[in-house]
Amino acid sequence: MEPEIRVEELSKSYYPKQRKGIFKSETTEVEALKSVSLEIKEGEVFGLLGPNGAGKTTLIKCLTTLLLPSSGDAWIHGYHIEDQENEVRAAVGCMLMGERGLYWKLTARENLEFFGALYHLSPSDRKQRSEEIIELLHMEEIADRTVETYSSGQKMMLAFGKSLINDAPVLILDEPTNTLDVPAARELRGLVRELNEAGKTIVYTTHIMSEAETLCDRVAIVDHGEVIEMGAVPELKQSLGRDHVTHIEGVIPEQARAAVDRLPEVTKVATAASNGTTRLSVVSSDGRVLLPKLIEALTDNGALLQQIEPEQVTLEDVFVARTGRTLSEDTRVV
Amino acid sequence: MSLWPEPAARCQKTQGWFELRGKPSLRSKLSIVVATAKMRLSLVSRYKGQLFIEMLIPIVFASIPIMLGRATGGDAAAANFESNTGTSDYVAYMLIGSVTFMIVSYAFWLVGYWIRFEQETGTLEAIYLTPTSRFWNAAGISLYSAIRSILFGTLSYFVGALIFGINPFRGALLLAGMFILVGLVPLFGMTLLFGALIMKVREANSLVNMMQWGVSLLMGVFFPILVFPPLMRTLALAFPPTWMVNGVRSSLLGVGYFFNEWYLDLAVLWAFMLIAPLLGYAVFRRVERGIKRNEGVGQY
Repeated sequence: MEPEIRVEELSKSYYPKQRKGIFKSETTEVEALKSVSLEIKEGEVFGLLGPNGAGKTTLIKCLTTLLLPSSGDAWIHGYHIEDQENEVRAAVGCMLMGERGLYWKLTARENLEFFGALYHLSPSDRKQRSEEIIELLHMEEIADRTVETYSSGQKMMLAFGKSLINDAPVLILDEPTNTLDVPAARELRGLVRELNEAGKTIVYTTHIMSEAETLCDRVAIVDHGEVIEMGAVPELKQSLGRDHVTHIEGVIPEQARAAVDRLPEVTKVATAASNGTTRLSVVSSDGRVLLPKLIEALTDNGALLQQIEPEQVTLEDVFVARTGRTLSEDTRVV
Repeated sequence: MSLWPEPAARCQKTQGWFELRGKPSLRSKLSIVVATAKMRLSLVSRYKGQLFIEMLIPIVFASIPIMLGRATGGDAAAANFESNTGTSDYVAYMLIGSVTFMIVSYAFWLVGYWIRFEQETGTLEAIYLTPTSRFWNAAGISLYSAIRSILFGTLSYFVGALIFGINPFRGALLLAGMFILVGLVPLFGMTLLFGALIMKVREANSLVNMMQWGVSLLMGVFFPILVFPPLMRTLALAFPPTWMVNGVRSSLLGVGYFFNEWYLDLAVLWAFMLIAPLLGYAVFRRVERGIKRNEGVGQY
């Protein structure tokens, strides 16, 4: 099946001027994207991860026709990004620049209806969709207030709502939970999941690993303009080949401990006892596979479990392992 | 079609706009023009005080040469003026020049500055993400500029006439309106060229300020272009607002058309109308593409 988004060897270079005093300047080349290739399947939630300045937004800007690539090709929903610009734009709902993409002197309703017009919706469709979006985002009470009176979170939610106005098959969301508080971010992720279940393909950029882990089917980790790792989240974690440690506390008789020892996935078990409870630290190559077997072996042999703490390998660990840096580091070169 | 399908419809492939409705019709494109103009009128309606002040500016602007003329011209001021311009009513002459200049100036600020305005508010990329040709956006901004400037220009003219004690209903008002309407189209084309320059150099304020002085000089806001040296006169005649202001003055005050007949002067504006917007848009597109090749339209 044809992928919903196909990117082939996409490169993008800028030529910013470096100022050398008042009158002199020097043009330098900055390679923001270096031969990026990827495919995103229809109905997938695809995460683009990377630190600030990694090239995520440049990639999105190329895909949404805001920037022309220096070389390479890309197709969205079957349309070529350079030859069929308007078709690509119609096929994509995009949240970029967050709250800055709104007219602050207009109301939420006026903003939505204006952008609806730019997507060629008829006046009645504009009104209907704006109403649906306002309802979806629970903004009924503030919909007729000018955006300048909103909190940052409300502005971000409206910017997200704006990306839905054309009901596009592909949604591209650039750091959509920036400036949102925890409940609002959770609500937005829930909506993203719901839209995905309704059939939309979603490209989601973030530098927050937990967000990518809970939301994305597959991710590409971008650094210095290159895709350094790509795959399903569990696969990427697995690829580290790191031992997993699961800590278990409770009343654990000797036969239960022995049963754990006999599990083929277990490479090592450490035991510590205090105040009548035992703490087992179980080392294995794959904690996720082991966990149900571990619980079964313990409970079948009379153990009373009080606490289970699997030590998680995160996507941040994958990034650190590949680059030697953390995701919070800024890698901007422009 | 509902925005969010019912659960039974989920997992079916959603469709893009073009698949659902085909290519946008002319009606849909014209709807964008109206929506853009309406949006900008809504925006400016939130600054009511500014609108009131703007209406007064042409009157104040015209007052300076009128008072100067009264102070320095003496008893023979009107006769001297008539020998050079074709009308003894220098007050109406200045007021018409000032109001027409306001309309031209609005075009430079509102249409030429449009891209920069969107860049500064942060909404330019949001507009570029939509499947709308910039031509229709620019047409919407031009419509907004036309509505705002004609409305306030007309108000200014009548209030100014009341203040200076002249008859605002003399002459062929409809023909004067025709010169303004026809003249606006090539003017908007020129301002698109100017907008392209602003996109390129990313400096709007000083460019618009400089252009305003140049424009007011070339179009002959307070004097006939016949007083220019030959080279400057030729340059002024290649400039649509010069024909616009002379057309309005000739219709209302009878100062004389450049080609003696109103329809010939109007034909020149029609010719400008056919060339200037296409040329302006072509240059604009070229500059826009160059910018997209480099750092993108949102950068400033």
